[in-house]
Amino acid sequence: MGSDIRFGWTGAIGSVILGATRSEGGTRKISYRVGGGTTLPFLDHAPASSPLVALEICDEPQYWPQIVRNYCGDLVDDVSAWATTAETVYGADLIRLYLTSTRQRNFSDIPLVGKAVEEVLSATGLPLIIEGSNEPGIDSEVFQKCGEAGEGERLLLGTAEAGRYRSIAAAALAYNHSIIAQSPIDINLAKQLNILLREIGIQQDHIMIDPYTGTLGYGFEYSYSAMERIRFSALKGDADLAMPMICSAIDSLTIKEVREADTAYQDEMAVAWEFYAGLAAAVAGAEIICVRHPKTVGRLKKAFTSLKTGSDPTGRI
Amino acid sequence: MHTVTFLPGYRKIEVPRETTVLDAAQRAGLNINVVCGGQGKCGKCVVYVQSGKTEFDQQKNLKFFTQEELAQGACLACQATVQGDLQIIIPDSTLIQEQKILIEGLDTGIELHPSVRKYYVELLPPTLSDPSPDLSRLLWGIQKNGGPVAEKMYAPLEALREIPTLLRHSDWKVTGTIALVPGGYRLVDLQENDTSKRLYGAAVDLGSTTVVVYLWDLVAGKMVAVASNYNKQISCGEDILARVNFAKKNGLSKLQALAADSINAALTTAANSAGIDREDIYEVVVAGNTVMTHMLLGIDPGYMIAEPYVPVVRRALSVASGRIGIACNRNGGLFLFPAVSDFIGGDIIADILACGMAEKEEISLLIDIGTNFEVVMGNREWMFSCAGAAGPALEGGEVLFGMRANPGAIDKITIDPATLDPAYSTINGIKPRGLTGSGLIDLLAELLMNCVIDRNGRINTGFNHPRIRTGVHFPEYVVVRAEETDIGKDIVLTENDIKNLIMSKASVHAACVTLMKEAGISRQQITTIYFAGAFGNYLNKMNAATIGLIPEIPISQIKNIGNGAVTGANIALINRRKRKTLDEIATKIAYIELNAEPAFMDEYTSSAFLPHTDLSLFPEVQKMLDTCRLHRG
Repeated sequence: MGSDIRFGWTGAIGSVILGATRSEGGTRKISYRVGGGTTLPFLDHAPASSPLVALEICDEPQYWPQIVRNYCGDLVDDVSAWATTAETVYGADLIRLYLTSTRQRNFSDIPLVGKAVEEVLSATGLPLIIEGSNEPGIDSEVFQKCGEAGEGERLLLGTAEAGRYRSIAAAALAYNHSIIAQSPIDINLAKQLNILLREIGIQQDHIMIDPYTGTLGYGFEYSYSAMERIRFSALKGDADLAMPMICSAIDSLTIKEVREADTAYQDEMAVAWEFYAGLAAAVAGAEIICVRHPKTVGRLKKAFTSLKTGSDPTGRI
Repeated sequence: MHTVTFLPGYRKIEVPRETTVLDAAQRAGLNINVVCGGQGKCGKCVVYVQSGKTEFDQQKNLKFFTQEELAQGACLACQATVQGDLQIIIPDSTLIQEQKILIEGLDTGIELHPSVRKYYVELLPPTLSDPSPDLSRLLWGIQKNGGPVAEKMYAPLEALREIPTLLRHSDWKVTGTIALVPGGYRLVDLQENDTSKRLYGAAVDLGSTTVVVYLWDLVAGKMVAVASNYNKQISCGEDILARVNFAKKNGLSKLQALAADSINAALTTAANSAGIDREDIYEVVVAGNTVMTHMLLGIDPGYMIAEPYVPVVRRALSVASGRIGIACNRNGGLFLFPAVSDFIGGDIIADILACGMAEKEEISLLIDIGTNFEVVMGNREWMFSCAGAAGPALEGGEVLFGMRANPGAIDKITIDPATLDPAYSTINGIKPRGLTGSGLIDLLAELLMNCVIDRNGRINTGFNHPRIRTGVHFPEYVVVRAEETDIGKDIVLTENDIKNLIMSKASVHAACVTLMKEAGISRQQITTIYFAGAFGNYLNKMNAATIGLIPEIPISQIKNIGNGAVTGANIALINRRKRKTLDEIATKIAYIELNAEPAFMDEYTSSAFLPHTDLSLFPEVQKMLDTCRLHRG
């Protein structure tokens, strides 16, 4: 279906390698080279690979959206099984593990964090994205532990922000992982954070930009326009913005439309919302789309394939 | 009436019952710090009642005092009213202290061509064969002595009433003073005998904080004295907005009188130090910001501070000085610089005149930084201007240990890369009390170069160094340890201070970029950057570029014009031809309203980084930073 539109851009998006197979020094079944584009997605000259879809899971489900807990049932209480199912049943390309256990008050069981990472690593062969703590007081130890537990696996660690990037950067540097750099929907702030990370030694090919994704109807248009500007600047040659992007419209499952939907359609509503937000983010250029509802994974992958090949997902020509 | 005695100076004043203590203090000539304009909001005008009766609502003002202070009779001068004879102690901290005020010499190289001149004439008395009238005889005499054409000179009624007696009494030897006023040439004064050497003029910078007066001998073309004084309006509110609000509450006439008083006080000091009579001052040229100019003239500034921010006049004005209470010759003239908008006032037009940017082919950028900043860019063909709030950080406000350029303020700092210990200088060389704008900029640049802060201004608490620590609320850098200070407290710079400084510098830089984009020019096309105002004088130019306060251009092309307002006023005083261009400049300048400029916010965010998000705009700074930081590793 592609289109042979050319814009005369000279820049290229850098690549970030996620996951390491045995031959690459890790234990993953697959590794991805994310990024590398020289134009907008889904055009003829776009990279051959489709955007990747990551399923988000967590090690402490009390902080997880009710709708996912309902859908997955007991699975959410067993992070290993959840990860295995994500790969084998739901068809995710990546798994993003939120260490929600660290959000418990006065959390101090740092070894637990390492254990969760190790469990998920052994439960799946997919590359991992690890979301560490949200608490500056334990950041350093948590990221250190994650980094250590995933050494050699080329994890993607999240999430660095302008006010809080040193601990995560230290862990990434020490164990050769990559970093998610999140800024609040602004091209300048995104660039500033990348410069800060560069200045403390993080290589450009170890950074993914998270432009912060508002969900559809709740600010997505701002995210879209920030992503568009980031990508255009990168393709025009701004090296400090030439990183692949990762998007997670995490509010999609908790918005009013989903909460108040008729119980019978609630899952459908949730999936539709995640799907359209994720699709739009991919069109804006995101290389990794993160979702929480298992059913969204397959839908997005089908849509991406269809956009890539021009085939009709229903099979009609 | 009750007598209020102010200690420790024993100044006495009689005031009616119910007068506020603040009013009484002001009438006694004390400059009380009233940031909020006497609304009881700022808590700065603390005084102690030693004896006597006042009325003061302690409950309402609890937040300003400790119990101990209340027990000692503490109250707010603006809220306490006189109820009987009083003795009041005014602590030092309540008085406005003398600031380092900018007074610098001026070698203008401007040709002497004042708008007022004196002509000494020895006339032939009338006879039956030469019966021409007294006035014609006088004016012809003046014309013959190099004055304007007789027919073009006008003598007002007051002069006509004096002429017959004065001519005869002086045995037909008189000195006439002719001024060029908007209506033409005017005989403003007639004196017996030769007083032609006694002709003076004053150039005034009417600032909202300070009034500076330069006194000129308009015959010799020499500056003879300089004096400055606090703008006494400060007692009605520290910032402009507070004063406009004061004016709205029937305070305009008081503000008008205080403005005139402030000028008069400086004028008197200057005249006394030069040993001249104020009656010999025939012209006063005033450059002030738009609100100040309006207030001096007694024009209501109230409509200017609300949308759409329109001033009343946009051209130069001439009035008789007596009409607004300026203490010079009773027929003297007052010339006021024109304003462009409510923010781009006569002071900025004077800056433009002073730096000469309106006469040049090359493009200049003029920046005047205070709590508000004004930026003008252009050349003799075109000019753009804008103004905005820089926030008080660059003047030391909103910074924990920030202060104005008072004695004890650290104005220069370097940090030793090896030890991270600072070396500094203070104003007047006394022990440090705080940090002033230029010191803060130095500090920011030095901390950045030494990697103590990142480009976002966040302190790297990972540094294991006794000067870098986590304070009560924010990480901080200890600039001076308590024992070395004059205040007995560690002087620190917190991460929050740095944030405020970055926001201030970002607005200035974003304003510059907005004008550059409006005009479609790059930083390489800017030939000169002029800093006007006190701020520029103490500023380390390299550091200003390092933190990205201004666009990067070669340091040698950054110039301080110092107090451009007074320089401009001087130029307009000594050469009237220069005045002609002022209205033209004022009309030519296009004013860009930053609030209405959608790109401004983007530029601001982009500028809120050290030095800037787009490092290609600061190539030299970037190189220098890379080198410095390489050493640190």
